[in-house]
Amino acid sequence: MAQYKRLGGIMAITLAATTGLTACGFGGSSGEESGDGATLDLLVPSYSDATQGLWEDVIAGFEEANPDVNVNLQVESWDNLESVIATRIQGGDAPDIYNGGPFAGFAEDELLYPVEEITSEETYADFQPTFLENAQVGGTTYGLPWIASSRALFVNDALLEEAGAEVPATWDELLESAKKVSELGGGVAGYGMPLGSEEAQAEAGVWLWGGGGTFGDADAITIDTPENLEGAEFIKKMIDEGATQADAGASDRSPLFDIFVQGKIGMQVGLPPSVGQIESDNPELEYSVHPIPTKDGSPFTLGVADHLMAFQNDGDKQEAITAFFDHLYSADVYVPWVQAEGFLPTTMSGSEQLADDEALAPFLETLPDAQFYPSTNPDWQAADPAFKALFGQLGGDKSAKDVLAEIQAQVDAG
Amino acid sequence: MKDLLKALPWIGPAVALIATVVLFPVGVMFWNSTRDISQSGLDDGGVGLANFATVVGFQYFWPILGRTVVWVVGVVGVTLLGSLALAALLDKSFPGRRLVRMAVIVPWASSVVMTTMVVHYGLEPYFGIINSFLVDVGLIASPEGYGWTRHPVTAFAWAMVVAVFVSLPFTTYTILAGLQSVPGETVEAARIDGAGGVRTYFSVVLPQLRGAVSVAVLINIINVFNSLPILRVMTGSIPGYDADTIMTMIFKYLQNQRQIDLASALSVIAFFVVIVIVAVYVRVVRPLKEV
Repeated sequence: MAQYKRLGGIMAITLAATTGLTACGFGGSSGEESGDGATLDLLVPSYSDATQGLWEDVIAGFEEANPDVNVNLQVESWDNLESVIATRIQGGDAPDIYNGGPFAGFAEDELLYPVEEITSEETYADFQPTFLENAQVGGTTYGLPWIASSRALFVNDALLEEAGAEVPATWDELLESAKKVSELGGGVAGYGMPLGSEEAQAEAGVWLWGGGGTFGDADAITIDTPENLEGAEFIKKMIDEGATQADAGASDRSPLFDIFVQGKIGMQVGLPPSVGQIESDNPELEYSVHPIPTKDGSPFTLGVADHLMAFQNDGDKQEAITAFFDHLYSADVYVPWVQAEGFLPTTMSGSEQLADDEALAPFLETLPDAQFYPSTNPDWQAADPAFKALFGQLGGDKSAKDVLAEIQAQVDAG
Repeated sequence: MKDLLKALPWIGPAVALIATVVLFPVGVMFWNSTRDISQSGLDDGGVGLANFATVVGFQYFWPILGRTVVWVVGVVGVTLLGSLALAALLDKSFPGRRLVRMAVIVPWASSVVMTTMVVHYGLEPYFGIINSFLVDVGLIASPEGYGWTRHPVTAFAWAMVVAVFVSLPFTTYTILAGLQSVPGETVEAARIDGAGGVRTYFSVVLPQLRGAVSVAVLINIINVFNSLPILRVMTGSIPGYDADTIMTMIFKYLQNQRQIDLASALSVIAFFVVIVIVAVYVRVVRPLKEV
């Protein structure tokens, strides 16, 4: 028994020693050797099965032109991306270049290079001004607009014709047309309303902004406002009057769009890559692409831009990073990348090259009326998950007012 | 002390291993739970117990805790009853027993996420086979089926079904091993005294299974309490917090809201809940004591 007591003592000492160790924190990260043989760590999400190959081609081309720089590529799924980057930053091992969504939090923590320090003047001047504006925190650009997308209404022409419904331009017309399609029966839904956690913030933007609301600006996130309430209440009306698929509150966007592709949904908001998806999965589908209906029929689309950003780390790789971005954004490298993934370019030279691409035309047209998430407000990083977790409750018994108030409360709590 | 020094070469590696893979992460978790950690992962200083106050003050905390209890008690209870019956069956000799015994292992051998995904797809409206079946036999009126995984209560119930399914093999085999250690003479003696099958089982066999059952229950409680994947898959698309247990809530703090500090605080709470449950259980049932 005495032995066990002593053993216990040793365990206690070990425990104390290890907790003492953790108390030191993770300050001591090992910096990589600088110099000619610079190594760039690249962390990117996977947009499609082709993403990894596309990046490998870019890197091969870059390394050939810059033999003294090595590029390490790490591709993660969107689901994992944000926890991977958080873990790596916490471990003092941030990537040099990162492709992600929100970046204001990183900028606020002073982890990022301002874009002007890591691009040549020509590259910087080539970005569309609206996109640059959307990438600024406190007047400084921290994100390089990488790829853009806008939304449009995909309409199943066959179903609408069968139901005798018109392609809608306003909310009231949408409600009427969707109800007509729903009445066809046989599991057909008029409007595909994905409020599930996957991308609830997008459908929220489509409706709340389409009714004249906003999510706020760089200074304040405002969700619980009378303008936003109008859109939220119309969503409830669509659901309650049977114009949508069942269980709108828990339907994720991608699986629901699969149902649209199968021809069981009359109308749903889609993205540029949706065109390619229909082409490969169900080319027989009779469909057309139209502007998103709004409350009063005024043109609007939800624009999303993903950004590249460069972490400062030890601050010794500026030249290599600049060389990489200049290579990456040259039209010959950039445009094929964007085109292969089915998105829209953020540079002026890129738009010029794609101007006569038919599939992208309806989306490029709406781009001037695009509104963006207030992603330069650091609080947006709390608002985005709040929408994902809570907005779908509109499909349940909660009132629209309560749902918006709950989202606002979670945002305010950080 | 001398004995201990002598023993050190033998226990040293084990102690070092425990310290690095168990105690160190636990220490980090406790440490993180008292810090203010930014969304990008930077440590912004200590905040004492504020994270715990936030977590417990969250309006859905108590319902989530209650649901966790339902989840653990329900899954472990049903698993235990099912396993007792299955083990009794597998203990009898019948043609093909070897094949049935092997079949029982299958849910154990396959990935939990895979098993859950199979059921989840089966429950999908429009194309899931479980939904199609229910529509075809006329139990569901709407032609696309019912959104089982879109409603908190049904999704949670189906998650419990899957949890029972994957917990059965281990529990069954533990009890089966217990059954095989029951001496034949005791059963024979009961028979001679005129006890029927039911009476023999409850008065003679079951008391002798006490050791096996209590170990199986203890391990199941810990496993089921800490189970994330089944609930994550089954209830993942449901908005709000009406189908969450402590584990899925930790996951939501970590993955959705990226609040490492709050997730750590809730993990610490979960850690203590498990310790208390296990301590009470060990005290009351004394699973390691001989009969």
